[in-house]
Amino acid sequence: MTAERKAKDITAVRMVINWLGLGLFALLGVAAVAPLFLIIGDVYIKGIDAINRLGGLWHFLTGLPPTPYEESGGIGPMLVGTFYMTALGALLGIAVGFPLGVYIGEMRREKFANVARAGVNVLVEFPTIVVGLFVYAVMSLAKEDLNLYLLDPLSRAISPVGGWITRFIGPLDGYNAYAGAAALSIIMIPYVALITASAYASIEQPLREAAYAIGGREFNALFVVLRKAVSRAVLTAALLGTAKIAGETAPLLFTAFGNFYYGPFTGPTAAVPLWIWYAAQTPYEVQIASAYGAAAVLLTIILTIFIIARIRG
Amino acid sequence: MLGFLLVVLLIPYLIAAYGLLFVKLRWGLRLFGAFIVATIGLLTAMFLVEAYPIIARDGVAVFLQTGWDPVRESYGVLQALTGTVLTSAVAMALAMPMALGVAVTINEILPTRWRGVFGSLVDLTATMPTVIYGLWGLFVLGPTLHSLVNTLARDTMTSPYTLFTAGVLLAIMITPYAAAVIREGYALVPKPVEEAIYAVGATRFEAALIKLRYVKNYILGGFFLALGRAMGETVAVAMVVGGNFSRFTTNIFESGITISSLIALQFPNAASYQYMVPALFAGALLLTLFGVAINAVAIYIIQRGQI
Repeated sequence: MTAERKAKDITAVRMVINWLGLGLFALLGVAAVAPLFLIIGDVYIKGIDAINRLGGLWHFLTGLPPTPYEESGGIGPMLVGTFYMTALGALLGIAVGFPLGVYIGEMRREKFANVARAGVNVLVEFPTIVVGLFVYAVMSLAKEDLNLYLLDPLSRAISPVGGWITRFIGPLDGYNAYAGAAALSIIMIPYVALITASAYASIEQPLREAAYAIGGREFNALFVVLRKAVSRAVLTAALLGTAKIAGETAPLLFTAFGNFYYGPFTGPTAAVPLWIWYAAQTPYEVQIASAYGAAAVLLTIILTIFIIARIRG
Repeated sequence: MLGFLLVVLLIPYLIAAYGLLFVKLRWGLRLFGAFIVATIGLLTAMFLVEAYPIIARDGVAVFLQTGWDPVRESYGVLQALTGTVLTSAVAMALAMPMALGVAVTINEILPTRWRGVFGSLVDLTATMPTVIYGLWGLFVLGPTLHSLVNTLARDTMTSPYTLFTAGVLLAIMITPYAAAVIREGYALVPKPVEEAIYAVGATRFEAALIKLRYVKNYILGGFFLALGRAMGETVAVAMVVGGNFSRFTTNIFESGITISSLIALQFPNAASYQYMVPALFAGALLLTLFGVAINAVAIYIIQRGQI
């Protein structure tokens, strides 16, 4: 066999290994995203069927959840609770997360900023159930005095406004929507902060100097001029963070607790993920069906937010 | 009173931080930084206080005992700790190859205009609610794995809901987190290095292997970040792990429990027992310490090896 022939064989072997290897990588890559389609397909096929069986879309979105002996029902209280807690949690998450992100992104030379950055990095990876347990512990510590010294007098003072306000403000139960929102915001804060920080860190130096040169005060430079440069990334972070906390279950287990009715937000509050978690584990066919319907609704909400974030971002 | 002050002072604190932003920007920002550091400190302190009764009673034995017997007020979280380690091991063994596959597929194989779409799909996998994964695992993945494993090896898997099921589900959920870090490193391979790899006549597969070796710090960092996620994941695992919180097992094809799912499943009735709440808080403390330690390692590795 000539040397030339040998070299050709080796090249052929390498080409075969090349295609096999790339094929393996592609297969693994596809294996990572294939379950996504299986899950979305499964949830929509069973979910839409369940919604139709349980009394149509409108009834499903507003009705009370089915008891084991009913044929129809919905997730009305859960949707209201999820919207309320997600909105509050997202507002607080952005309100604290954004300045925090500016701090750890812009003041990198400060020692304390690096401590805070490490804290944010730890918190973003925290098990979400731990956050829920923490809020539960604070709540059980603070509830009694909070009601006695603040919320009882307050609710008496504002009671002339009308009965509806007691649904929002009043003496708190051990489980309430505000604890749920607090837990969600603790999950959202580091998420927003990290993306804000990396957006601020990626601003080019000349732009930063220009901002400081025309902005006058540092506040204007950072929050008015440079914000424009990062607004897109921050908006995406806010949207994706909202999508994330809308689907969180573990932090709500011991804070909002869940409810079957339209209760006041000062007491146990229902949430869509909590209902899926509860109903899927019951042995009743009708409740399992409603869990699938709820999953389809939740998935629609999250996919919508995700697609908006992708198109804008 | 302490808790009351804590909650009530939070509002003026945040208002003060915002006010300071306008007056003295840097101090305002520092207050926000202090807020996050204080949160973590308070969280750890809170768990120590809440877990104190059982640690005072049993010492470290609570982490080394296997029984979970509320009637006798005897609690050990070792079986949960073992379950956490086993499910995470299964998950990492499956997730790391997939994460490498994602990174190579996006950067080497796909045509440029499909990369964004594929990347979005991977990101969506990370954004999906965990409870929906749990639902799917409960009604699709569990039964499928059960029949699949039992066809291959007769009667190895005792039920659809085992540590193995939880590990496979976790692998799907944590792949995007590891993939994100590896992708970030992969994209940072310098152009001259890439050109040099092709200049010596490497095929695309060989180039991919060399580049992966080049970013091995990121792979290790991604590994630890994903491991942190796997250990802390609660709801999806609790739905498919089988909820066997009393019997110690090291067989991944049997029902088991993890620390986080132990908390999720046992907390609702914990208040009826004297020492169960402290025992669960001890579990949470353990999770917290693991989380902090693993993330510290991951962040250290990634920062040390920045290209």
